[in-house]
Amino acid sequence: MRELEKTFEVPIGPVHPALKEPIRFTFQVEGERIVGVDVKPGFAHRGIEFMGMERNLIQVLYLAERICGICSISHPIALTQAVEVAAGIEVPPRAQYIRVIVSELERIHSHLLWAGVAAHELGFDTLLHLTWKVRERVMDILEELTGNRVDYAIPIFGGVRRDIAPEQYPKIQEMLRYYRGLFEELAERFLRDASVEARTRDVGVFTPEEAEALCAVGPTARASGLRKDVRQDWPYLVYGDFGVKAITPEDYGTEVRGDVYDRIIVRLLEVAQSMDIIERCLEDMPEGEITSIPKVPALLAQLKKAEGEGIGRHEAPRGEVIHYIRLEADKEAPVVWKVKAPTYSNLMSWVPMFRDQEIADIPIIAASIDPCMCCMDRVHLVRNGRDELVWKEELLALSREKTERIRSRVTRYASRVVDHGGGI
Amino acid sequence: MNAQAVLTALKEALGDRLRAPEIRTRSVGVKSPRTIEEVWGAIDRDVLLQAARTLKDLGPLHVSIISGADCGEEIELLYHFTVGFGTEGGEVLVTLKLSVPKTDPVVPSICGIIPGAQTTEREKIEFLGIEFSGIPDSRHLFLPEDMEVHPWRVDEPELEKFVKRAVKWEERNA
Amino acid sequence: MSAVSALWQGALVLFGGTLLALVYKGFDRKLAARMQGRIGPPIRQPFLDLGKLLVKETVVPRTAVRWVFNLMPFLALVAAGTVLLYLPVGPFKPVLSGYGDVIVVLYLLALPAIAMALGGFASGSPYGVVGAQRELVMLMSYEFPLAVVIVALAWRVAGLGAGPAFSLATLAAQPLWAQVGPLGVLGLALLLVALLVVTPAELSKIPFDIPEAETEIAGGLMVEYSGVNLALFYLADAIKTIAMAALVVALFIPYGISGPLGIGGIGGQILDVAFFFLKMFVVMFAAVTTVRVAFARLKVDQIARGFWIPLTAVALAGLLLLVLDKAVVG
Repeated sequence: MRELEKTFEVPIGPVHPALKEPIRFTFQVEGERIVGVDVKPGFAHRGIEFMGMERNLIQVLYLAERICGICSISHPIALTQAVEVAAGIEVPPRAQYIRVIVSELERIHSHLLWAGVAAHELGFDTLLHLTWKVRERVMDILEELTGNRVDYAIPIFGGVRRDIAPEQYPKIQEMLRYYRGLFEELAERFLRDASVEARTRDVGVFTPEEAEALCAVGPTARASGLRKDVRQDWPYLVYGDFGVKAITPEDYGTEVRGDVYDRIIVRLLEVAQSMDIIERCLEDMPEGEITSIPKVPALLAQLKKAEGEGIGRHEAPRGEVIHYIRLEADKEAPVVWKVKAPTYSNLMSWVPMFRDQEIADIPIIAASIDPCMCCMDRVHLVRNGRDELVWKEELLALSREKTERIRSRVTRYASRVVDHGGGI
Repeated sequence: MNAQAVLTALKEALGDRLRAPEIRTRSVGVKSPRTIEEVWGAIDRDVLLQAARTLKDLGPLHVSIISGADCGEEIELLYHFTVGFGTEGGEVLVTLKLSVPKTDPVVPSICGIIPGAQTTEREKIEFLGIEFSGIPDSRHLFLPEDMEVHPWRVDEPELEKFVKRAVKWEERNA
Repeated sequence: MSAVSALWQGALVLFGGTLLALVYKGFDRKLAARMQGRIGPPIRQPFLDLGKLLVKETVVPRTAVRWVFNLMPFLALVAAGTVLLYLPVGPFKPVLSGYGDVIVVLYLLALPAIAMALGGFASGSPYGVVGAQRELVMLMSYEFPLAVVIVALAWRVAGLGAGPAFSLATLAAQPLWAQVGPLGVLGLALLLVALLVVTPAELSKIPFDIPEAETEIAGGLMVEYSGVNLALFYLADAIKTIAMAALVVALFIPYGISGPLGIGGIGGQILDVAFFFLKMFVVMFAAVTTVRVAFARLKVDQIARGFWIPLTAVALAGLLLLVLDKAVVG
């Protein structure tokens, strides 16, 4: 008789309900126990760096913003810092504060988003709905300040593009009070719920030694007890003024175990920390210019003349973002542009986390590093059972068609609704 | 940890194999202004491991990324390390440049010293056609395994086809 | 009872039961949504879902064992429907009954789960296989406490010597709460707790929905099912939900209100049936709807451990108390 195979392969992804973005895990499984894993990213590789090296820097800024919808301020902040160093551009103080405020707002919304996703992965949809409902408040403030819920288009080389008006201050403070009032409840729901604890304690353990050796970043590293936070270690912008401290589970008063539960603790405490930073920013923010070179043609001219290289770093909600840029005179496009997103560094941390875990733990462990697979350049379509490549022109035509469709619908809608306060 | 200490240690370990060492500064902060210092330098590939080990001895070492640039005959790799996280303002960004000829693009892998560098080294394999000797896993990471084109090489003959989307990749596997 | 009238009654129970099952599913979804701060689907959504599934293409994967794969949904639905026939509806006797039908019900309740597991194994999908393994582990976990509860009750009622032993009709006609002493009441309460905990597990609802676990194994044993096959499973699940609720009602709260209110005749019977439906709804709301919004999904080992040791202990304690009570009361 043929010997029965003890292990079998369970593929998770590229498309799977546990994954919000495409990546493929191939698990070797014995019963419910995972004995091996192989990770294959690249299903959403768009060649952004390649595209960037053929465009002028203002266009690159827009591309950087679109690397990730959630970290849509983290990449521009890192890029602008890199270019400002390379081209020797000063940033006015007020602009630095505004960048910090928006990036901390982003952290709050990102962590709340993650908390909801984590709850969903655990099969706790009630908690998902609760956190995402609560998250709308910070999204409203982001929309109020920047005009957009994502892709804020705030940083530009030499400053920011929008100021925060005095009448917007109370709205931000109101939001902060709202979250302070809710914080206890969120902590109660996530940290002191028996079923959440049963599913996250001692699951996906990542030791500090592994975290250090595998170059983990962000909350993933901090939950393993490494006090590693770009805002603390390398105080860029105005973070040095506030004395930002990296948060580990010890700050919550528990010992560090490096499991999923610890990652929840760290992210929740970081929401509170971001609120403190925003509050300090609002108090300290000086009056003044928001950009040193307000005119875009002048900025482009200066960037074209610039020669040099620079690095920009930022602590995104998921960890360290780093951009390296090299400019040559009389070239509009950067010669080299290298982007590193936090998940890139955290990719390898999955391997030790999955070791000896159960299939049931896959979604929450996969989600626990808050992965964000950003990365090729094709739109691939299966239509009428045939493979086709859709070209730029066709996509553009489809996009225009849809815009027209929506516009006519919106116009009809607007004629019926007089004014609901928020514009359309 | 400060930049001067890192630079001194590197100079001691590498001697004149460390070329063009420099400390670049940038000023940050509004209420309590300070400067952030970065160490920059160029090395040859035969002293890369030694340099990495020196940095590791200085404090917790982190590889942020390895950037790469195609400079015609040579490929330049930039190793962006950070040394000594954990204290306020105590992290030093160290960038070591290293050039390899395209005819012999072999670089020793630093995975033995810091395993976390594997992701970025694998990316350099597929995008720039670098070979890392001693890397535990040299499969492609982001690109398909059978893709022989290195997109970041400027003289790559096949690249044009990819940009113009003349390669129907899907049919290859069908 | 003539064969013809039994047929008539059976058809009525099945048709009515199916309708009621879908309506209750609608309520369950709406109420769960409201508790989660959502608007939720309209009450008629389960009917729309079922209609949609029935007109959709039924795909059978190439790797599946075709006949097993296609047979299992029918088996699940037939088993769930047959349970309905054994359940007393308010003041009415069940359509089918006889000596030991409680044991039959116990097996019939396990049958849809086994059908789903076999369907999962037959689907040839790794997710289906994992889901099926989990379903079987679940089955082994909750069957023992469930059996203890039912056997304890049936044994105690048999001791009263009224009607055929181990028959649901007898159990429903003899509410035990008034027949036993204080020890027995405590024992019954423990058994009720055990049964209420088993209910969501029997129905694979959160926190016990691990055989399907959408975020882990993409629907598990249901992953390859589509169209009519999926509709049958959907229906079987809805019917099993009300069957479980009706079983809890029949075993523990078989009281009518027509007697205390003093309403007789047809009016009283209608009132009793309505009251019976209300009791089922309350049981479903308490044991399924609120539970599934209040917990995260557990893992299979956590469930197995929880059911084998603490829950079985509770059920056995209930049984022991009933035995002691009988020794005292006589």
